[in-house]
Amino acid sequence: MILLRLLSWQYIRKHGPRSLLTLTGIVFGVAVFVAMHAANQSVFDAFQETINRIAGATELQVTAGEPGFDEDYLEKVQSLPQVRVAAPVVEAVVSTGLPGQGNLLILGVDMTGDRSLREYDLDSGEDAMMEDPLVFLAQPDSIMISTELARRNQLRINGRIALDTVAGSKEFVVRGILRPGGLTRAFGGNIAVMDIYAAQHVFGRGRKFDRIDLALAPGVQLDEARAEIQKALGPGFQVQPPSTRGQSFHSLLRIYNFILKFSSLFALVVGMFIIYNSFSIAVVQRRSEIGILRALGATRRQIAMLFLGESLAGGLLGSVAGLLLGYLVAGKVAANVTSLIEGAYGVTRPETRIGLTPALCVISIGAGLLTSIAAALIPARNAARTDPIKALQKGSVYALSPRADRVRMAAAAVLGAGGLFLVTSTKGLSLLYAGYLCVMVAAMLLTPRLALCVVSALRPVLRWIRPVEGVLAADSLMAAPGRTSATVAALMLSLALVIGLAGAARGSSARILDWVNTTLNPDLFVSGSRSLTDRNYRFPDSMTPELESVRGVEQVQRVRNVRIDYQQQLVLLMAFELRKVAQRSPRRAVEGDLKEMFRLAAEGKGVIASENFATLKGVHVGATLEIPSPAGLLRMPLVGVIREYADQQGALIIDREVFKKHWNDDGVDYFRIYLAKGAAPDRVKEAILTRFSGNRRLFVLTNQEARAFVTRLTDQWFRMQSGQILIAILVAILGIVSSLTVSITDRRRELAVLQAVGALRSQVRGTIWMEAAAVGLVSVILGLALGALQLYCLLEMTARDFPGLRFDFLYPYGVAAIVFPVILATAWLASLAPAESAVRGSLVEALEYE
Amino acid sequence: MNSLKLCLWLAVTSSTLFGQSARDIVAEVQKRSQADSQRYEGLLQVIDSRGKTSEKQWIYERLGSHGKSKATIRFVAPAEVKGVALLVVSYPDRASDQWMWTPAINRERRIAMQDRRTRFFGTDFSFEDLEERDIDHHEYSMKGEEAIEGEPCWRIEARPRPGKKSQYTRSVIWIRKTNYTYAQMENYSEDKLIRRLKYRRMENVQGIWTARTLEMEDMTRSSRTILKLESLKYNLLLTDDQFSVQALRQG
Repeated sequence: MILLRLLSWQYIRKHGPRSLLTLTGIVFGVAVFVAMHAANQSVFDAFQETINRIAGATELQVTAGEPGFDEDYLEKVQSLPQVRVAAPVVEAVVSTGLPGQGNLLILGVDMTGDRSLREYDLDSGEDAMMEDPLVFLAQPDSIMISTELARRNQLRINGRIALDTVAGSKEFVVRGILRPGGLTRAFGGNIAVMDIYAAQHVFGRGRKFDRIDLALAPGVQLDEARAEIQKALGPGFQVQPPSTRGQSFHSLLRIYNFILKFSSLFALVVGMFIIYNSFSIAVVQRRSEIGILRALGATRRQIAMLFLGESLAGGLLGSVAGLLLGYLVAGKVAANVTSLIEGAYGVTRPETRIGLTPALCVISIGAGLLTSIAAALIPARNAARTDPIKALQKGSVYALSPRADRVRMAAAAVLGAGGLFLVTSTKGLSLLYAGYLCVMVAAMLLTPRLALCVVSALRPVLRWIRPVEGVLAADSLMAAPGRTSATVAALMLSLALVIGLAGAARGSSARILDWVNTTLNPDLFVSGSRSLTDRNYRFPDSMTPELESVRGVEQVQRVRNVRIDYQQQLVLLMAFELRKVAQRSPRRAVEGDLKEMFRLAAEGKGVIASENFATLKGVHVGATLEIPSPAGLLRMPLVGVIREYADQQGALIIDREVFKKHWNDDGVDYFRIYLAKGAAPDRVKEAILTRFSGNRRLFVLTNQEARAFVTRLTDQWFRMQSGQILIAILVAILGIVSSLTVSITDRRRELAVLQAVGALRSQVRGTIWMEAAAVGLVSVILGLALGALQLYCLLEMTARDFPGLRFDFLYPYGVAAIVFPVILATAWLASLAPAESAVRGSLVEALEYE
Repeated sequence: MNSLKLCLWLAVTSSTLFGQSARDIVAEVQKRSQADSQRYEGLLQVIDSRGKTSEKQWIYERLGSHGKSKATIRFVAPAEVKGVALLVVSYPDRASDQWMWTPAINRERRIAMQDRRTRFFGTDFSFEDLEERDIDHHEYSMKGEEAIEGEPCWRIEARPRPGKKSQYTRSVIWIRKTNYTYAQMENYSEDKLIRRLKYRRMENVQGIWTARTLEMEDMTRSSRTILKLESLKYNLLLTDDQFSVQALRQG
């Protein structure tokens, strides 16, 4: 402790900015880790809390996937002896006409079916203010809103609020206000209650319910009741406690989690290198100090503990700073995640509250401390092993000993070969990660030798640019590879991550673009919402002939997409008119004959699966799939596997007639419209809008607009990836700034000697600049090369972790071209201040340095 | 010995008298109010705890009585609820079936049996309160005599028979001795008084003594509902067809 106060604190004070820079790696690593976990947890908690609040005292919920089920099932459920109360529910997410209020979750409930008109919120009893319950039921424009929403928009009883309905925007009358608490806290108060039959009417749901909420008879066990209700309803239904619904949201966040986890880990690794570099230099700079301490009787252990103590203190500081930064950033991350889910799945954003759990604080600070200590272990060991006599002598300490170099090379060869084998020749995910780790460690071990080779190759170029400064810079780097290797390794790793992420983004973008070109080829899309994913509004089948009769329309394809529970996972069931689809937009077959699979599926003799569904479920053509429907299990053979990216959990494609028969549902989510030759899309769009806009909520998207929508969705994913890339670049920049500052400051004596023997200030300055640029150049060359390997590993990880998401290897040349000058410029900028300090400082002081 | 026999006879007779007479009295009430059908125009006033009053009007028709009846309630005013109708089919051996018709969305809906304790459209009556109950749904016991508004009454306690569902654990009924009509009814959940119903403005209509004003007080909400029966008629010519879901739709 005394040593820490007397020596370490003085050193840190003297090198304040450098010490701060050293911490940046830990700060960033911990911040990304904390932001990711806190945001994900808050989003998950918000969804879960919302589900619980809406569920109230519900013990079990009966669902049959997104399409819902016929009303008749309600009586069946109500008649079961295990059931005390069975209340049907219809849910819809609608946009309001209220500025800045976003979407509103409409809960359609059977007011007469509840204990009291004021008791829908079973948690809080007499909580609702209702002007007249009979008027509420009699008038389909009645709505009950939360106090929060009423207050925010100065709405009172009998006030009016515009909502999007199946028949366009309609005004609703506020006939009740729910007092705060319970249900109304869901979605931050963006919730409203309607009569269920009015909700069916205004949202075009026909005579279907989304689910039935149940309370059990006294004394009935949950599991027993669940089994009995399931038996009574059949396998097409899911009978689950409300809490399990939250799990489905959790699975939506998997890819997001994967990317963030990867990045936070990488940031910590890069941070570790920055600390390693900084401590290695500190050990060298303080050799004489270590020598004196050893001569005065300090033990090796005390010296090692001194450096580890410094590292621990720095790690703690960095971790706490990272924790705070992560907490601040988590809100933005959570907003991004909820926005993504809202866009892709059409659900209302829940109100997220960021919180740091004690466990998260302990884990993140622990990770920061471990990283910091691990980084300081080798420098601390080197310090402890320092011979007191040699320590008091000046001289080169950065040169690699031939023996150490041989050991490094051998280890790199073994790890590299083993790693490559594991990455390329094994199937398991854990082996892949192990192989990836081996490859990265091998790359780091090779860094000094590789850096030396590249610098040797660059020497003539540097000499050609500036004969004196170029040679001096190259020779300095070659003479002390130990000094620059950590800088190069840190930068190389960061750049490799940049290339990996950017390549993955390019690969996935290319695949999605290919899919968009194949799938989204109709001239127009007629949808009930601005997006093609929102399924709150459905069209009646009777609209089809009307659309077909519009001048210029050649073919109309009806599409119904619903999410169903397949083996306890939500998958997308797509009901198409497959004969027409086969003619107009055949997909790319992955397994099976394309024509044959579409023929069989169109005849109702089979089902087609998306590539990711087949991989996730491990099914192949010929397998029999059991798809749950309200009419029972639909058993159909898998007749083909195609490339389809409509849903990350997988998609099944059946013919519309099969869907109509088994789901008793002839609704249409959107129409795909192909125009006659010569027909102008804009004119036909106008004609459709004119025909229907008076009596129906309807959006007509041109092909370009539909593509733009899909691109917007995918862009949201890519924006997240861009965020990761940005972090990686930032860490790389910080790494180079820190390392160069340290490195140049460390060479003050050497540079002063140069000046003392007659070198001009401009020559010294030029030497430093060129050296910095050379370090940047070497790092970029190695980083971009390692990036190829990183990209390969990342694509393998994605493919193995998310079956079906196998993207092509496309090297991101564009990003590489941007990174190149950015890093070189950063290296040069980073060297400006230390170079000026070196040439303008006192020669005497500089010569006394060390 | 003789005095012992007299005591025994008195004990047996009095217990039998009190036990049977309570049920007999209720049976007599039902018998005297028996009519094949009924029709009236109801004026409903709901007065909430703050004194705010809202009014509704309906036409009530019933075919059959006391546990074996079908009844419709059609709202005629105010304009917002005009056309809303309710069909209640009562059975002697189980709870009634109820349907509601809402013309604005062209929909009928079934009201679940399990939710009969729900308030009847914002009034202080529950759906269960509006059912015509069979005498055999309850067990009765005499609790003495007490005057209500100056009129001598029997005080009888009714408890649901085992297997018969009710939101109330017991009811205390006051029956006028003069004409065998209900004077007041208090409904309890456990020991808590939930609702009190008063029968007022007694009139003899076609030989049936009928309360022309019913006043239900909800003790938990401090609100009350007054139902006035106008144009009351008994034993009209009504048919089964008029009491179906289809008829409900047709208005």
